[in-house]
Amino acid sequence: MKGALFLVAAIAVAALLLPPFLPWGYADIDWNAVRAAPFSSGHWLGTDSVGRDLLARTLAGTRVTLAVASAAALVALLIGTAWGAIAGWFGGRVDEAMMRVVDGLYALPFMFVVIVLMVVFGRSILLVFLGIGAVEWLTMARVVRGQVLALRHRPFILASEAAGAPTGAILRGHLLPNVAPVAIAYLMLTIPQVVMVESFLSFLGLGVQEPLTSLGILVHDGADDMDIAPLTLLVPGAVLVALVVALNRIGEGLRQRLAR
Amino acid sequence: MRAILLRRLATAIPTLFAVVLASFFLMRAAPGSPFDAERPLDAATRAALDHAYGLDRPLLEQLGRYLANLAQGDFGPSLVYKDFTVTALIAQGLPISLMLGGLALAVALMTGVSGGIAGALRPGGWSDRAVDFAASLAVALPGFVTGPVLALIFALWLNWLPVAGLNGPASLILPVIALALPVAGAVAKLTRTGLSETLAQDHVRTARARGLSPFAVLWRHALAPALIPVVSYLAPAAAGLLTGAVVIETVFGLPGLGRYFVQGALNRDYPLVMGVVILYAGLILFFNLIADLLYGLLDPRARG
Repeated sequence: MKGALFLVAAIAVAALLLPPFLPWGYADIDWNAVRAAPFSSGHWLGTDSVGRDLLARTLAGTRVTLAVASAAALVALLIGTAWGAIAGWFGGRVDEAMMRVVDGLYALPFMFVVIVLMVVFGRSILLVFLGIGAVEWLTMARVVRGQVLALRHRPFILASEAAGAPTGAILRGHLLPNVAPVAIAYLMLTIPQVVMVESFLSFLGLGVQEPLTSLGILVHDGADDMDIAPLTLLVPGAVLVALVVALNRIGEGLRQRLAR
Repeated sequence: MRAILLRRLATAIPTLFAVVLASFFLMRAAPGSPFDAERPLDAATRAALDHAYGLDRPLLEQLGRYLANLAQGDFGPSLVYKDFTVTALIAQGLPISLMLGGLALAVALMTGVSGGIAGALRPGGWSDRAVDFAASLAVALPGFVTGPVLALIFALWLNWLPVAGLNGPASLILPVIALALPVAGAVAKLTRTGLSETLAQDHVRTARARGLSPFAVLWRHALAPALIPVVSYLAPAAAGLLTGAVVIETVFGLPGLGRYFVQGALNRDYPLVMGVVILYAGLILFFNLIADLLYGLLDPRARG
């Protein structure tokens, strides 16, 4: 898990801090170096089919992918925690009905729901992460509900109820702090999931739009040009896979630590 | 068995109906029209087009008509592939997608289960660590990365297999591998966990004490209970394969359902997108049903 943390941190720091120090911006076109080889004419990883610096583009794409993924995971965290906490707290019929909805949504093809949303409401980056967040909250809702159900009748909760604390205050003051560790572990597992969905959509041309770029767009452009400039496919692809593997490791590690 | 089936159908059918309703109203609520092009159409042409496709009727009448046609397997006309009905496009694309998905599922199950067994037999050994590493990597390999990379290595550099298109079985090898990898990784992990738990149980120790060969212990006593988590993973796996096929068909230029779906989505071909979404939702609900029935078959306690 330490290696994974280090890898994610290194990628994130590079994507956030390195670009200003590069000689080329991610959208700058170097007319003298179209499809340049690595380490030639000031481009460490070469350039793409229109002469844009591959390293700068990969870093810019990573930044967008990470930003969209964190925002979408937060949306999923908010919806999932609220939904699960309400269902678990009120129990009975409310719980039954709310969890029925979750089960029903689980059975749906998520990706298609997001794609339909993209088709209907146009392709904006805001919608990309709202849409992804809106379909990735289900597991979070289940986990939080389970936690809340387990906590609901613990003495310290009953005591504050008996003392006449308002429900909102109990939820915020006593329940959420106890649910938070588990929710955060699942949040860490949701992020790689969202990275994949975002890249998938952008690869198909339904996610992030030019002039912004993301790892999915870069992989798509690289695949079109791979016979001449294979690095334009391999570099963003490798960054994407490394990010997802490492984030999965971190999430799994956190979850196992909590299960003990 | 009957009870499970009925209970599942009681949630599956309303869910499917909700999908139909939701996608219908979403498509109608969409800003802009599928006929919007570079230049705005003049009012008369626009009215004629709306009339021809029945878009000038009241919304409820449109819905009633859509449902009535749907009940007869008619998804309406495609707005982009002129002269084709959505049903005809689906009939063309679905067999290819199902073949791709079916082959990928078979490959994923075979490699995943054997990998999981190899890992569980010697916990902590080199095979266990190798399988765990490979599985963690495979789970994180999206088809839109593996697809092009495999094509680059085996088609462009080594020249062993075709880059794209559908001619003969050889052109299916790379798409099937790219599609199967993440599922194989997940199956391997589930098998490894399930099997190492089962191998620690009393009935397995008894079978060993009776002097059965390790192979017989595994095959007759340990494998079936160990595979229950794999069976409950089958429905999400099928959903993942359908979704993955969308990308794989685009990457390898296979004329399957997924490619029509992406084209439809990019061109705002509403009837096509709706038809495919409804079909996919139906398929996934069907796979869930099958997985539940299989589950009941493997685990008598779940028959309830």
